[in-house]
Amino acid sequence: MPSGNEQLAIDFCGMQFNTPLVLLSGCVGFGEEYTRVKGFSNRDVGGVCLKGTTLAPRLGNVPHRIAETYLGMLNSIGLQNPGARKVVDEYLPKLDFDETRFIANICGSTIEEYVEVARIFNDSGIDAIEINISCPNIKEGGVSFGNYPEMSAKVVEACRRVTGKPLIAKLSPNQTDIVENARLCIEAGSDALAVINTVMGMAIDVERRRPIIGSNQGGLSGPAIKPIALLKTHQVYQACKDKRIPIIGQGGIASTNDALEFFMAGATAIGIGTALFYDPLACKKINEGIVQYLDKRQLGHVTKLVGALELNSGAVEDCGGG
Amino acid sequence: MQADNRETIFVEDAVVLQHQPLPAGQYLMRLAAGDTASQALPGSFIHLRCHDDLPMRRPMSIMRADAGAGWIEILYKVHGSGTKKLAAARVNDQLSLLGPIGVPFKQNNYRSKPLLIGGGVGIPPMVFLAERMCKQTDKQAGGVNPLVIMGSEIPFPFTPRPSRIMIDGIPNHVTACMPLLEDWGVASRLASKQGYSGCYDGFVTGMARQWLENMDADQRQQVEIFSCGPTPMLRAVAHLAQAFSLPCQVSLEEYMACAVGGCAGCAVPVYQNGKLSMQRVCVDGPVFAGNAVYPLNHDVT
Repeated sequence: MPSGNEQLAIDFCGMQFNTPLVLLSGCVGFGEEYTRVKGFSNRDVGGVCLKGTTLAPRLGNVPHRIAETYLGMLNSIGLQNPGARKVVDEYLPKLDFDETRFIANICGSTIEEYVEVARIFNDSGIDAIEINISCPNIKEGGVSFGNYPEMSAKVVEACRRVTGKPLIAKLSPNQTDIVENARLCIEAGSDALAVINTVMGMAIDVERRRPIIGSNQGGLSGPAIKPIALLKTHQVYQACKDKRIPIIGQGGIASTNDALEFFMAGATAIGIGTALFYDPLACKKINEGIVQYLDKRQLGHVTKLVGALELNSGAVEDCGGG
Repeated sequence: MQADNRETIFVEDAVVLQHQPLPAGQYLMRLAAGDTASQALPGSFIHLRCHDDLPMRRPMSIMRADAGAGWIEILYKVHGSGTKKLAAARVNDQLSLLGPIGVPFKQNNYRSKPLLIGGGVGIPPMVFLAERMCKQTDKQAGGVNPLVIMGSEIPFPFTPRPSRIMIDGIPNHVTACMPLLEDWGVASRLASKQGYSGCYDGFVTGMARQWLENMDADQRQQVEIFSCGPTPMLRAVAHLAQAFSLPCQVSLEEYMACAVGGCAGCAVPVYQNGKLSMQRVCVDGPVFAGNAVYPLNHDVT
């Protein structure tokens, strides 16, 4: 039986991941922020997705940028970032690439901007590029691309032309047919899919009769969206498994059990975001929990869990009854 | 840039040592948190899980820290769901916290007459700062003589008493002080519009202005302002400092998710060298130059 580390190490689009866990864009700054916390290590995860990056610097949205909600939180940061050039020139050289794989998260308000940002990261040491077609916060940007499969595919296709690095399309749940979106992104050259981004939401301060979030609406994350994310992961996996495109399942995962559910639904890797806010040391615990689950059932490697879901029969008519 | 910040924030399961209800829904809590206590500085805060049912943490200023005994104290007022659940915590309960977090108030080279202004739940860091200043004073030639002005529109979280320390420039009938500070030899005065006995009838900035106007220019050159409190008060304090051309540091609060610099959820507009940037209250602050966050004639918040 392999040791814990061997059980968890996976190949993801040709990248060697220490574990199947991936820290999600927007939660961990530009890769080093959580190392402030004693006991936290980037070595506990397979990849770290850096903060969403545009071509030009952005100041982001006005406060308040976050609001707590029942079993979750809203955020509307507004893609505050120093611009792709600065990220590549000043931030990447300070990252320790021995610790984990670092993944850029690129965004643009035009296809040309996406392409230019992808080109800048392509000429860097970054390990992979996640395309933030589903960023829900910028009016002129992500939402209009991510909510329309054809537009999403055009972005992926354009970025594919300028980089040989692994491309991961991050899909929005705020659309009618995420499976169609996934299918078109794969055809356009996406090597992997991230399922799902935040679900758009709102919270109102009834004393002030105003939205709590400064830009009025935000992306809902946390355990509140986990069942939605799990179903979307399952649906995308069922539709795309023949193409052998790996999925980073994400949305409200906060425990070992959550992670196991996403593996079974079809995720190859597990995105951790809001859970870090609850417990900065969550990844260690989830890793340990996964190994315990594997050992107890003598399953060996974590990849044995991927897509291992056995579906129920559904309607009575479907199982020969009545 | 980040390498020297590694492993500076601890995750601790802190045990509640004391939890004292105070007037108007305020509570004083002492927590056993040795790592945080050993590194905490005035302006540092903790990110506290108030209850297992509420996984999102709350930032709380540290009011006192005893490195030797391994405890910290926080003072809070029940305001929302988190603090409501926190108020039910009992002695010996365990609460998860991250700490100490943030850029503290400056730690040395104080001018000789620091003016500390705390409002409401902004009082705790002023107590911490005053304690550190008076401990340092013994070691410094010439000494530092802080004045602490506190304001509250609900009963103060301590029982005020008449001060024995005279302060030039403060009306004679304004005598109410914070006993803890008085016992340390630190002068303090209280302000409120609620008509509390011995308090200045008005805002903290009104009393501070009177104190400053009573000085000559040379004396005023020895003043430096430190403040924490509600946004309107901080803005008024920062503007007062700029009107008198005095250095001023303010400690901000903002809704926070991660509190370690990862999410940028707590970023606020800051002006430096004529340029606007968005800075994170958690790790770029919470202490900022008053004129950088509340510049005269240039408010954007």
